[in-house]
Amino acid sequence: MNPVDPMAPIGPLLYFWLFLKASLLSTGGLGNLPFLHQDLIARGWATEADFLVAMAVGQVSPGPNGLWTISLGYLTYGWLGAGLALIAITLPTLLALVIVALHRRVETHPLVQRFTLGITLGVIGLTLGVAWTLFSTTVTDWRGVMITLGALALALTKRVPIVLVLALAALAGWLLYGAPL
Amino acid sequence: MTTATGGQRPWLPPPRLLDILMTWFSIGIQSFGGGSTTLYLIRQACITRGWLSEAEFAKDWALVQISPGINLVKITAVIGHQLRGWPGLLAAISGLLLPSATITVLMTAGFTIIRDWPFVKAAMRGVIPATIGISIGLGLQMAQAPLSRAWRAGRVSVVVQLALLAGSALLLAVAHASPVIVLALAGISGMLLLGDLPGAARRAVRWSLSRLVR
Repeated sequence: MNPVDPMAPIGPLLYFWLFLKASLLSTGGLGNLPFLHQDLIARGWATEADFLVAMAVGQVSPGPNGLWTISLGYLTYGWLGAGLALIAITLPTLLALVIVALHRRVETHPLVQRFTLGITLGVIGLTLGVAWTLFSTTVTDWRGVMITLGALALALTKRVPIVLVLALAALAGWLLYGAPL
Repeated sequence: MTTATGGQRPWLPPPRLLDILMTWFSIGIQSFGGGSTTLYLIRQACITRGWLSEAEFAKDWALVQISPGINLVKITAVIGHQLRGWPGLLAAISGLLLPSATITVLMTAGFTIIRDWPFVKAAMRGVIPATIGISIGLGLQMAQAPLSRAWRAGRVSVVVQLALLAGSALLLAVAHASPVIVLALAGISGMLLLGDLPGAARRAVRWSLSRLVR
């Protein structure tokens, strides 16, 4: 990969391209996370905290979870960043129309199905890889570990709304970290 | 099947653009709390209005998974296009994204104002690990469908699929490989390894046993 100057100011064209590329190369609401995480952190255009805040807002705000990208755009580059992020996550979806038209011709081919399954597994692996990176850089004590595991357990039940999980976590954070011990 | 791309449905008058816009607008602002709520609302709206059959919806949802971008935005684009062509697509996308994106930015902005309050700081120290826990949960839930199919196909394919999954995670987290490269490798390994492996393994074992016995 090209070496990048970690202190260069944000260039709007490159910034837009990084968001567009992340969206073009990924699928799902958080699929663009590993791309943006790698590219923006390396350039110093975003911090780990920006990502975590954007992901939390994306979970709580209405609409698809993928809108976390717009929150990240706003945190790193203001309204312009939010607008560029919105365009970047909308444009690649037009390819879905092409895929729907093309897919009928190849959908039954075993090689296509295996390739798709391989990519599906890769996407899941990337999701877990990013989670591990974030975990190892931000969770530093047993309280954080407990909250991570608790949220994981609640999320796996699929019965508890995500907003409620985050509200409980905020309460836990306030009790564990905010109250004078 | 012929109505799956473009064009309008022959047995129903095409919906008005304003109906499309307002339908997705209400989906966009109602769907607090993540993607499954949004998907539920889209499905309900399309089926109660007679815009799509259950089977057409399921097929659209499967197809958008394999093209780039956000699945909920893609299925909105595909359905909007099926209903009224390009104007329908534009109406559906704007209805879904403009209100919810605006609210997202306002929530982010609101948060950046209060993020230094001690109460908020402490609460965020709880929210951040929870976000990580939720995304691990998301990964595990996504892994469920392929892995349970693999379980039925035999133990070998479970091992191969877990190896592909863990390999991708490690390449990113430990080796800091580019996600594009990780996915390309995953796709190619899938083509090579995810075939009839149990069958191939059984044949290999049988073949070597027959050699030993002889």
